[in-house]
Amino acid sequence: MNQLRWDPTLREWVAYATHRQDRTFLPPAEYCPLCPTRPGGFPTEVPREHYDIVVFENRFPSFTPNAPEPDEGGSVLTPTAPGRGICEVVLYSDDHAATLATMSERRIGNLIEVWADRYEELGASEEVDYVFIFENKGEAIGVTLHHPHGQIYGYPFIPPRPAKELEAAREYRSQNENRCLHCDLLSQEHEDARRILTKGEHFTAFIPFYAHFPFEAHVYSRRCAPSLADLEAAERRDLASVLKRLLGGYDSLFGFSLPYMMVMHQAPTDDENYHGIAHFHIEFYPPNRTADKLKYLAGSETGAGAYIMDVLPERSAETLRGKIESQ
Amino acid sequence: MNDLQEKPEVKKEREAKDDGRYIIFYTFEDEKD
Repeated sequence: MNQLRWDPTLREWVAYATHRQDRTFLPPAEYCPLCPTRPGGFPTEVPREHYDIVVFENRFPSFTPNAPEPDEGGSVLTPTAPGRGICEVVLYSDDHAATLATMSERRIGNLIEVWADRYEELGASEEVDYVFIFENKGEAIGVTLHHPHGQIYGYPFIPPRPAKELEAAREYRSQNENRCLHCDLLSQEHEDARRILTKGEHFTAFIPFYAHFPFEAHVYSRRCAPSLADLEAAERRDLASVLKRLLGGYDSLFGFSLPYMMVMHQAPTDDENYHGIAHFHIEFYPPNRTADKLKYLAGSETGAGAYIMDVLPERSAETLRGKIESQ
Repeated sequence: MNDLQEKPEVKKEREAKDDGRYIIFYTFEDEKD
């Protein structure tokens, strides 16, 4: 069952996918459903002995292309809608023990090619207004499978957080002689320099002035490219290099493979024009504030939407930059 | 190893799983060495 229900108090859709309750939960490594199917072994999701990068439709999707009209009709105040969209799983490697951080720069570059291809293909679907590429890593984030993988949601609407960001960028542009909000934020970070983590030729990683997590990092394209699909080959390679350095720094922070949420913000695929408004970037939200303490989204963050931070971004950036530079 | 200015050569194979879901294999030329 895939169903959307409208919350008129926050003016946003909530997706219900009740079949997900039964999804595979932390199986032992020898029964990983994302590993290749070995000769004589149990059949996994991937019917080959080896693979580079694989994409498949999620067995437990939050959205599906053929979702029927909901049995629950809702009301004028609280309408419902079919949960139509697409959910994909992206397997980064056939090596169960790998992580994005331990992969070669070349493999990360190839993964970027796959992400760009999925953005274009899913974005061309009638029912998809926003292609959201993300990775949940680590049990602290709630992952149910350890095999290195990410996900892609093709939403039938522009989800609230990117929508809010796009609205801010559109308003800023209209009030500031058509300037891009993200380009100006990036310029400010470059000029200040205290929160810069690492720079490539085409991408910059930094902890934003207004970080919501202690080691939150944003990776911005220096050129105002609306999406992954707009990046040139040299830019994609540089992105791979910057990601490799950032992720290596993350894993050096506390001496273990750091959990994080990684999300990509880029242009919606609803046929509107987002040039100068959408600016491709990746955001990382690691939950750790120390090796053994997590930043929880508690009462103020969840109930009031107001983040309270224990550490200044300048201090976190100094620590993380040191780890990146000492690799 | 491909030139860093070029996009890598990739073979994209789309297949149907037993339950009808699709699966896509991306195989990269530069991963062969």
